[in-house]
Amino acid sequence: MHFSNNRRWVATLLCAGPLALTVQAKPIAFANGTTVMSEYGAGTMIEAQAFYAPYYWLSTGFGYLRLDSDVERRTRDIEYVRVNYLVKRWNLDAAQANVFVWGGLGNASGSDFGGSRLARNAGFQLDYETRRIYGSLKSDLWESTAFSHRVDTMQLGLAPYEHDYQDLATWFVLQAREYTGEIHRGTEWALLLRLFKGGAWVEAGFTGDGKPQVMAMFNF
Amino acid sequence: MKIHQAFAASLLLAASIVARATTIEMDVNGLVCAFCAQGIEKKLRSFAATDDVAVSLEQRLVAVAMKPGQDIGDEELLKALTDAGYTVKAIRRADEPIDAVRKRLEAARR
Repeated sequence: MHFSNNRRWVATLLCAGPLALTVQAKPIAFANGTTVMSEYGAGTMIEAQAFYAPYYWLSTGFGYLRLDSDVERRTRDIEYVRVNYLVKRWNLDAAQANVFVWGGLGNASGSDFGGSRLARNAGFQLDYETRRIYGSLKSDLWESTAFSHRVDTMQLGLAPYEHDYQDLATWFVLQAREYTGEIHRGTEWALLLRLFKGGAWVEAGFTGDGKPQVMAMFNF
Repeated sequence: MKIHQAFAASLLLAASIVARATTIEMDVNGLVCAFCAQGIEKKLRSFAATDDVAVSLEQRLVAVAMKPGQDIGDEELLKALTDAGYTVKAIRRADEPIDAVRKRLEAARR
């Protein structure tokens, strides 16, 4: 992969320790593009993000995350800024694979501690995609002096047909998600229908215990 | 008189050459989703010389129609696609209108 001077600078920053800022998940759509995303995750997670990508390998923006434990009655509300970085991309004949990392800082409040705390965020995503199959593994860590939570998500997708640019793309996605820090016990399974066309992406489905999960993303 | 006729004919010939639109086709690796195509199209349409853009995920092809008498160099196109995050395997130029390219791509899907 070709590293420009800017990219080397970012890579150095990412390795610079706890103050380093990094990158994101449904991360960087394309250079000079803006991504707006919102997700409702089965009552345990709500997240909204807005990112701008000056390069195809870098985006930055802000977001809001709410974690709502179904184990104990406690919540986390985090407003954050984040930087997303594409570590590596493989452009294959009929496939693409990516490694993203991200990190950020936020302001966290919770139902079981007073005031607000500095929250630190770091994570990564590995994905592989053809026009018929999709797989991704994502891990998102949130820490403060009051809590530590990690949200791990694996998705496997299958498209019933190969879409082209002007077509509506349809995917059936099986998702497994785990939370640490007593947000949800066990693996949360979900079956999702994903549709996208042009710059709009909508995903909806239900978890194994019948709770809805909805995600919408727009790129422009 | 003959000199004037020859001069006029030369002007017409030159004008027809300048007016002929060129379409540039690029074979691109990593082109698997609409977001990929959207980013590439946005980048290519930012060139003043671009008249139209067609993208086929099926054929892994990006076609750019030039405005009459204008052009974008191979190096510039290569940089544009690389900066968009994709790998260009080949670049070809032809006088085929982009609508004909679209019809060819559509026919290949059937």
